[in-house]
Amino acid sequence: MKSKLKNDLAELIDHNVISSEVANRINNYYETKRSNQSNPLFTIFGILGSALVGLGIILILAHNWDDFSRTIKTVFAFLPLIIGQLLSSYSILKNKSQAWKESSGTFLFFAIGASIALVSQVYNIPGDLSSYLLTWIVLGLPLIYVLNSKAVAIFVIGFSTYYACEYGYSFGYGNKSPWLYFVLLIGTIPFYFNELKKSPKANSTAILNWLYALSLIIVLGAFIQNNWALGFVMYAMLFGVFYNLGQLEIFNSQQLRRNSYVVLGSFGSVVLLMILSFNVIWEEIQYEIIVFNSQEMWVSIVLIFIALALLVYSQIPKGKFKFNVFQYVFIIFLIVFALGSESAKLGTISTNIMILIFGVFAVKLGADTFRFSILNYGLLIIATAIVCRFFDTDMSFVLRGLLFVVVGLGFFLANYIMLKKQKAIKHQTLN
Amino acid sequence: MKTIYVFLIFIAVVIIQLLVPAKMIYNKEDVLNSGTVYKFKTQPIDPNDPFRGKYVTLRYELSSAKSIDSTIQRNDKVIIYLEKDSLGYAKVKSLSKTKHNTSRDFIEVEVEYYDYHSTEVRFNLPFDRYYMEESKAKPAEDIYRKFNRRNDSINETYALVAIKNGDAVLKDVFINDKSIHYYIEKEAEK
Repeated sequence: MKSKLKNDLAELIDHNVISSEVANRINNYYETKRSNQSNPLFTIFGILGSALVGLGIILILAHNWDDFSRTIKTVFAFLPLIIGQLLSSYSILKNKSQAWKESSGTFLFFAIGASIALVSQVYNIPGDLSSYLLTWIVLGLPLIYVLNSKAVAIFVIGFSTYYACEYGYSFGYGNKSPWLYFVLLIGTIPFYFNELKKSPKANSTAILNWLYALSLIIVLGAFIQNNWALGFVMYAMLFGVFYNLGQLEIFNSQQLRRNSYVVLGSFGSVVLLMILSFNVIWEEIQYEIIVFNSQEMWVSIVLIFIALALLVYSQIPKGKFKFNVFQYVFIIFLIVFALGSESAKLGTISTNIMILIFGVFAVKLGADTFRFSILNYGLLIIATAIVCRFFDTDMSFVLRGLLFVVVGLGFFLANYIMLKKQKAIKHQTLN
Repeated sequence: MKTIYVFLIFIAVVIIQLLVPAKMIYNKEDVLNSGTVYKFKTQPIDPNDPFRGKYVTLRYELSSAKSIDSTIQRNDKVIIYLEKDSLGYAKVKSLSKTKHNTSRDFIEVEVEYYDYHSTEVRFNLPFDRYYMEESKAKPAEDIYRKFNRRNDSINETYALVAIKNGDAVLKDVFINDKSIHYYIEKEAEK
């Protein structure tokens, strides 16, 4: 990288494109820029290395060495912890590079896990995996802030998700909701906000975007107790929150692959609607009694208010009102669900109409903005809906075959027409 | 923020990180050293925890107690007060939702369910994990099974548990007054 720049500069000087003075200034600029930041690869390998060593220590300790006395085991419980703490204090005091802080923080995070794991083994401390994970996360969380460590933040979110699943998804019996998961997550939010403000376009911030969204999707199900039907509402509202969050300037101005909220919000809603496009599901929901004073309802209501607030907020800064039907999915969904819980038929029909509208809207949006990805996403929504209908309707094979051919041709035609249009516009602007 | 402040906060974090395991050790050592030791008859399984290794899950014969308090519900925390029978095995003296002011040993247990017909509270004792070296957990379970058949009145298997101030530490698992480790070694010698 460095030598490539030098070569290029030499070439430019040789051909009299720039003077040697300019070349020197360019060179100096990159030199100072480089010396200010540590090599990102070094940071990544540092984190990976520390994480692996830390996990390795946990696994070695998990062997439960019988031959060692309690005292020796106790020493081993503290040894990795103290090494991690010394390394971390060194990187704080000497104000070492980010690579140092991330690596030592990661190691310390796992050393905490190793330490309390060994103590619980030695004393046969009861308590399942979730209570152990909780202690670990609480002790590790402050490291995010003192070391300004993105890696620890990532681990804390990841392990909090793990904790919530262990605690909340009890297979078989017993319904416990992992409320503490939210406390842990809120503990990481100030750091996330700061990162969003400081470096919204950094890859590490994009990782956090995805992690938060995925974590919430995974954990939300743990809050469904007896009213599984309302689980659909909870998820629909969560996707509504996500989609509208993704419309905020800070996320919307970024590439789609960094904007996890729009991607997962939209995709999640579509998957949910696909599931509900089957009549059988609505028939089951119809039999369920919707309990209004239930945890599922309250969670849904909170999510509705967040989604509404975001919807309103996202419309404020744009001078002129731009209609995006996806932003209103959660509101339309509520109406559809109300209809469907009364009459399964109505639910099925309105869900299918809803899917069709979204598909068409996405196609139109894609065509208007010349984005093939959105255009094909819309077509895919429609195609999937049609495929789904093959399973629960008695259509003749000929009719199904024809429908497939029509949809297939639609894909070709829509893409072809748009390509043509794009070329024509390019041609015009060139002339 | 200035480095020194960050460092001071870090030191506070460090101290907490050291204190939590140290406190865990201190409490448990205290129970081991000065707690009363009870024997709890057991019944077993060999699962594994991704971070803490292999252990033997213990089920105890002592899993219910009479109570007339019918407000007790599933997942409630109740306190059971213990006493020893003539052979040193633990049994429940009384059960209550709130703590009494007595010097009697007690432990907190989670209610599984309340049986209205027999007026019995069903619970699981909390010290149900006995961590073992990974190569020994499976043989331990096999040995355990051999000695701990249902309705086996000749062999007695029990857990030795130290109890103090409501805190309990599972010390060892015994089969006929010998530690389970003794049987594992004997098995390995064969």
